[in-house]
Amino acid sequence: MSLDRPKSIDIYWRIGMGGDMASLRRPTRNRGDWDPTGPGSITPGLRDSEPDGYRYIDHMAEVARAAELSGFYGGLLPSFPQTDDPWVVSAALARATKTYRFMIAFQPGFLHPVQAARMSASLQRATGGRVVYNIITGGGGPAQLWWGDQVDHDDRYARTSEFLDVLKGVWHHRPYSFSGRFFQVEGGGLSPELAAQPFPEIYFSGSSPAAIDAAGRHADYYLSWLEPYAALRQKFDLVRQHSETIGRTPKFAVRADIVARHTPEAAWAEIAKGWEHVDAAAIGVAQARQGDSVGAQRASGFVSGSARGYRDFEVEPNVFGGFRVLRGGPAFGLIGSYEQVAERLDQLIELGVDTLILAGNPHLEEAYRVGEEVLPLLKARTLATV
Amino acid sequence: MSASQGRRPEIIWTVPISGDGRRGGPQGWSRGGWHLDAAPVLPEWVNDVRGSAFTPFDHHVQAARAAEHGGFDAVVVPYDPAGEESWVLATVLSKETRHVGLIAEFPLGAMTPVYAAKMAATYQRVSGHRLGWKLALDVDPAIARSQGDFLDVTLRYQRADEFLTAARGVWSEQGYSFDGQHYHVFESGFPSPLSGHPFPRVVTSGISAEALDLGARQADVHLLPFDDALAGHRDGLGRLGSQYGRRVLVGLEVPVIAREDPEEAWARAARLFGQLPHAAGIGRPEHYRLDEHRWAGFGVLGLGAPIGLVGSYDEVAQRLRELFDDGVDVFVLDGNPHVEEAYRLGQHLLPLLGDFPVTAVPAAQTAR
Repeated sequence: MSLDRPKSIDIYWRIGMGGDMASLRRPTRNRGDWDPTGPGSITPGLRDSEPDGYRYIDHMAEVARAAELSGFYGGLLPSFPQTDDPWVVSAALARATKTYRFMIAFQPGFLHPVQAARMSASLQRATGGRVVYNIITGGGGPAQLWWGDQVDHDDRYARTSEFLDVLKGVWHHRPYSFSGRFFQVEGGGLSPELAAQPFPEIYFSGSSPAAIDAAGRHADYYLSWLEPYAALRQKFDLVRQHSETIGRTPKFAVRADIVARHTPEAAWAEIAKGWEHVDAAAIGVAQARQGDSVGAQRASGFVSGSARGYRDFEVEPNVFGGFRVLRGGPAFGLIGSYEQVAERLDQLIELGVDTLILAGNPHLEEAYRVGEEVLPLLKARTLATV
Repeated sequence: MSASQGRRPEIIWTVPISGDGRRGGPQGWSRGGWHLDAAPVLPEWVNDVRGSAFTPFDHHVQAARAAEHGGFDAVVVPYDPAGEESWVLATVLSKETRHVGLIAEFPLGAMTPVYAAKMAATYQRVSGHRLGWKLALDVDPAIARSQGDFLDVTLRYQRADEFLTAARGVWSEQGYSFDGQHYHVFESGFPSPLSGHPFPRVVTSGISAEALDLGARQADVHLLPFDDALAGHRDGLGRLGSQYGRRVLVGLEVPVIAREDPEEAWARAARLFGQLPHAAGIGRPEHYRLDEHRWAGFGVLGLGAPIGLVGSYDEVAQRLRELFDDGVDVFVLDGNPHVEEAYRLGQHLLPLLGDFPVTAVPAAQTAR
């Protein structure tokens, strides 16, 4: 372990924002109220045949507390049409947690940047500076229209860029005026009490050239889903090259789901059991994605179109592209023994990753497991050479 | 606290008070600030922001909330002279939960019956009438002396009888006086608003003649060992109860390792065994197997009761239902790690244990 390493690593643990499963073995989401509430349900649960009065936010609080107690820096709160909203959840959990950083996923443009600045500054005051941004610019297709957004792909990145200009503008300048393609402000600027709060770190996602361009200007961290390692290296190199041309040094973050067990066999057995409940016809559908997301297209391209058995989705050792089939969401994650998964995470750090955003179902129990069994094994053997 | 719609056993979970963790054996249970030499350590280049933000109780509360969300009827906070003080922990838990009964175990040498009743009255006001008392009667004499209790062991049950009698007296009567061998109270009793609350539910244990007699006279629930003599003790307790005109619920402490299939459950038992520091000296886990599901290795693993059940969810549920049909009303379950196992048993085992409704509450309409 190198002592002269210039940087340190932040490790986040996601909160499931659309309910959770008791395990990947069954597709039933009986934590939260997305599936019907019955015996064995959690938040709401049944107590003497009646709902017990708990709501899913109570379980999310348990997950956040499990993560912070297990040593995670914070967690990602994703945002999709069918999930709870991360701004409100962060505010609700602000006082239920102590150190947990809320990485709020949001698409610029759905909120006015002045409103986003005010909400963020108030959240910073509520949490003692624990807000982090995960700026997403949208996957296009029906989901984008669901949000009421018809702006096309490259223009969305232009809007994101402008949004962040205004957000920073009202935070750091008073009075502040701006007149752009998407937003106008005149005589704006946060009140001094709000503006005194630290501006949140920005994690920026997007795999297209337009995204990388916008990321270069605004991102503290360039965030990617897990991909096969060679592809990831290539992507990071592209971002590095682009950043160099504008004189910036990017940091990198990777999101990965994890199934880690005491042996590789036990880990893969979880996937095998889950696969028994997967509709074979649905596998191809899950592979084909609608929309204009370049990242999602990349993800689909890494798995053969004829992949059906779960092991077909292991595109390289321990790198599994079948999570979308089992639980929806991003495709890639790591499967293996505690040691194997720790080694693969070490290799991500060797690739230049500064932040790991990890997750597993069920989020509560797996936070303890990964925090206690996997993270202590990290070695990042080549740190000195990075 | 019990509140059974339909016929089902009452299910209680155990809150860890001197460490918790995923491994076999309490030496490795570092959650909640215990056994810190065994705590997982993050590499120094990982930003660990925990610092001094958390207290041990943050973990204890997680375990109680897990039991609450999992649908357990109550949690027991055990007595361990080297662990957290159970009244304090149970009181903290009362404000972090809404439904579960909270059963604090304590030794009677620790306080007078009037003072116990006084604390209980406040507790009932704080918790919405969720307090239970579990009397720690079978305490090793040397440990009892270390806690300042020198009473001759043979007199413990007599003292307990007086303790409960006096406590109930001051609880329910103004101007109450009591003159016994161990306690003397003169013109006591609680004024409003301390009065009028339900007396704490009383849990006793033990199989000696004195223990069974005390349970029959004073307890709401009497815990028996999960051994081959269970039926005899159950009948004996029932007979004594009838003599006193009381029906005392029969309880059983049952540590559990339950998984989807039996192989997984037994593999976990073996793995926990293998993690014990002196694994070589304790023999093989199979040696502790009493029958198809009953296993006597839990004490070796550091859980409170020595004998429990190992098997699939269905198997364990079947055994518990059989015991219920044989007159066991209350099960005190236990397993580590306590948060994860409470969720597991709440989601997979408890629904198999009784007349739960088959009709589900419909999900909210969502765009999926």
